Amino acid sequence: MRGADYVIKRIAFALLTVFIAVTINFALFRLAPGTAVTNLARVPHATPETRLALKREFGLDKSKLDQYFIYLKQLSRGNLGISFENSQPVRDNLKTALINTIPMVLLGTLFAIVIGTITGVLAAWRRGTAAEGASVTTALAFYSMPTHWLGLMLVILFAGTLPTGGMTNDFLINPSFWQHFKDLVAHITLPALTLGLVLFGEYTLIVRSAMLETLSEDYILTARAKGLRPAAILRMHALRNAMLPIATLIALSLGYIVAGAILVETVFSWPGIGRAVYDAVLARDYPMLQGAFLVLTVSVVFFNLVADLLYFKLDPRITE
Amino acid sequence: MSLLEIQDLHVWFDLEHGGELHAVQGVSLSVDPGERLGLVGESGCGKTTTALAAMGLLPPNASAAGRIMLDGEDILAGGEETIRPHRWVDLAIVFQGAMNALNPVRTVGSQIVEAIELHGRAKGPAARTQTGELLESVGIPAKRAERFPHELSGGMRQRAAIAMALSCNPKVLIADEPTTALDVMVQAQILELLDALCRDFGLALILVTHDLPVVAQLCDLGAVMYAGEIVERATVDALYHSPGHPYTRLLFAATPDLGSNGEVVSIPGAPPRLDHELRGCPFQPRCDRAFGPCTTIHPLLKSIGAGHAAACHLNDLPAIAAP
Amino acid sequence: MSVAVREPGAVIESEPIRSRRGIVWETIRRRPSAAIGSAILLVIVLGALLAPWLAPYDLHKQVGPVFGHPSWSHPLGLDDGGIDMVTLLMWGARVSLVVGFAATFVSMVIGGTIGVAAGYFGGKTDTTLMRITDYFLVIPDVPLMIVVAAIWGPSLFHIIIVIGILLWTSTARVIRAQVKSVRERVYVKRARSLGASHTRIVFRHVLPQVAPLLIANTVLTIAVAIFDETALAFLGLGDPSRISLGKMIENAFQRAAISTGAWYAIVPPGLLVAVIILSCSLVGGALEDALNPRLRVAHLSARSFRLRPLVGRGGEAV
Repeated sequence: MRGADYVIKRIAFALLTVFIAVTINFALFRLAPGTAVTNLARVPHATPETRLALKREFGLDKSKLDQYFIYLKQLSRGNLGISFENSQPVRDNLKTALINTIPMVLLGTLFAIVIGTITGVLAAWRRGTAAEGASVTTALAFYSMPTHWLGLMLVILFAGTLPTGGMTNDFLINPSFWQHFKDLVAHITLPALTLGLVLFGEYTLIVRSAMLETLSEDYILTARAKGLRPAAILRMHALRNAMLPIATLIALSLGYIVAGAILVETVFSWPGIGRAVYDAVLARDYPMLQGAFLVLTVSVVFFNLVADLLYFKLDPRITE
Repeated sequence: MSLLEIQDLHVWFDLEHGGELHAVQGVSLSVDPGERLGLVGESGCGKTTTALAAMGLLPPNASAAGRIMLDGEDILAGGEETIRPHRWVDLAIVFQGAMNALNPVRTVGSQIVEAIELHGRAKGPAARTQTGELLESVGIPAKRAERFPHELSGGMRQRAAIAMALSCNPKVLIADEPTTALDVMVQAQILELLDALCRDFGLALILVTHDLPVVAQLCDLGAVMYAGEIVERATVDALYHSPGHPYTRLLFAATPDLGSNGEVVSIPGAPPRLDHELRGCPFQPRCDRAFGPCTTIHPLLKSIGAGHAAACHLNDLPAIAAP
Repeated sequence: MSVAVREPGAVIESEPIRSRRGIVWETIRRRPSAAIGSAILLVIVLGALLAPWLAPYDLHKQVGPVFGHPSWSHPLGLDDGGIDMVTLLMWGARVSLVVGFAATFVSMVIGGTIGVAAGYFGGKTDTTLMRITDYFLVIPDVPLMIVVAAIWGPSLFHIIIVIGILLWTSTARVIRAQVKSVRERVYVKRARSLGASHTRIVFRHVLPQVAPLLIANTVLTIAVAIFDETALAFLGLGDPSRISLGKMIENAFQRAAISTGAWYAIVPPGLLVAVIILSCSLVGGALEDALNPRLRVAHLSARSFRLRPLVGRGGEAV
């Protein structure tokens, strides 16, 4: 396989970064002064037995260094502690939350990629015309809007027509699959749209920049000299090449979207991982906070790795 | 009637903060089948722009005037729409090899096949076979068609570009600095290749370059450009031995001839800016023989012998004062 | 927050070039986007600075009902405490801008130092510093800010430090690239051979060349910093004792401004933030463009070259 060692190097780097993130995570939460944060066993409403078990599991009476290794060991087993808020294993809470977040984020991102690419290509293609100015201004405008504020704007605009809170309508009794599905779609629209609009602004600028760069390359002139029509040149040469930086930049941004989702989920009370972070902060639910933060960091590392490997796969020039 | 006749071509470029650059000022050229014309001059003299304009490959901030007659038909008249049908099938171009002239993420072969299929010469497997044959004819093993451009050496890339240019049997081949940025050995090979191909296929060749020995080796006719104009047009022999313009004389003297022991003479000064109209002769500030009319009257390209034209006031003086 | 905002530097990396003296001012003057952005920012900054004197009402005095509607005496209505919105906007902008500038200053100092050190010394220093930068880059900023603010406790100082600590990465990279190219310049080599100390060279030769790019990057970082402040405030982690633009949005959100139809409690503060961020993006973007001009022409465009009728210039006689 071409460049197997490159792939291995990148994976190794990613793993190392995860390890460092895990360590920072530990440092943040267990080395903070006082025991409010560090005492994992301080689960309210928990039985003394549970508390004792936690104490033993995480070695809360041992030295910090010992705790570190125990932390790592527990992590490898998927044990992230018990949530202060609902006394459930952090891992289970996170799993549910993640499952809720992913479709919403995916929808918004897809919207942003499609619309952003179209607008970006349009802006580059029609360089120097009013169309370009309009596209860039619109993109900048959406890109400048604080995510949560945009969400609130959409709430104001659509308050009567679309649901603005939660993932489902609690008043629907025993809905059929179809009703349930429609209900979900209605609820997912505004949060996904908010995320999509903010991202669309950024993606338009990325695509336009990549296209302008590509369109000034000499092989475009060659393609034109060969007698290809503009549409064919765009498809077979410009887009194919611009895809490289575009794909990798989008993959990179995916890692951060999960973080941006925090704001959207808070505005729309969407029970996803972003909202979980917010609730955990509010309730000072440190085990949850720690777990959620870990998940978010790992997702960023993961998407960075994807971006790296994607670029490597798409560009035949990289052989190292 | 020549195969390709460029008549009184003008090209202007819009400048970013207003104003225009008059890059090509009334250039007229012609080539017949089998003729090789060398278009020479310093960088920025407008020779590349002229070559690109011949194929209508001007950027959106350019405007053009004049006629480009191909077999008697003015292909420039309708702009992009009238020129495009003639690209590659009548007029083809090869760029400087070191550039990114080939798409780096597509195989060399696929790009040649693209040209072949676009102009209906062949499709699918037949196109691929033709591509293989084309590559072989320029000295590249057919198997290399599956490689990417960065996997070929500079010389091979240039050969591939030449093969691609000839894929639709054009009548005129324009080569823009085809050997610059290649090392001397490879240069010689490329020139031999061009020589052989032009002979075998009866191509007309317009060779754009600032490298005079290349012109001497490959071309019969030469046109010297300065500040957007043609200042002299003659056989290459005449340009070397009886130039009719001081610039030509100094230019050819600036090139070390490997045979003699002449010193390298470079011409002091720089070409004029083309963003405003000039008075008098554009070369006058750097000319070693400038006199009276040179600062005020713009010299026109006039015949000074059989098939020899030059734009210099010195030629109007009685025969004793040779330039 | 997304990549391009985390990395206010070039989205597509291009060759850094020589910065001319006075190019910042020149760019602002010549490019409409930069001029408009600067003008808007100037107005807003002045308004915020002069808030204690210009604000129409007292910041802490209730002058009407909760979420009072806009009227002639209160063009933007009243907030959830019955306080005039225009007054709040001016004071809120003050706090938001202070956080933005201060956090950016922190990040500029860190990023600039690391960038200069990595670019100037190269070798092992460079590799190590860049490795560290890479790791910092991977940490998602908003979650980390949330976590640190949650643990440390919300205060203006903490917020500033937290934001500053995460934004320096793009500055470091951009500065490093520029320093590397400056280091290779003739006059730097000459200064070295004459025995000038590193400090002297850095301050006299490197920094002036790097300054315009640093300014461009700083302006773009301010935009991100202000956004981050709004985000943190919205999530309840802002300084509770001070009112910032982000806090205004959060207050309105918490007190159900939307359901009571008090859109004027939400729209203006967010709009002001958006305008500030937009202006910063325009100025920073224009500066970056001016310093890294796209020298190449697009070979393909919707428009094509134009034809002109032939103008006789007295042809030739061949």
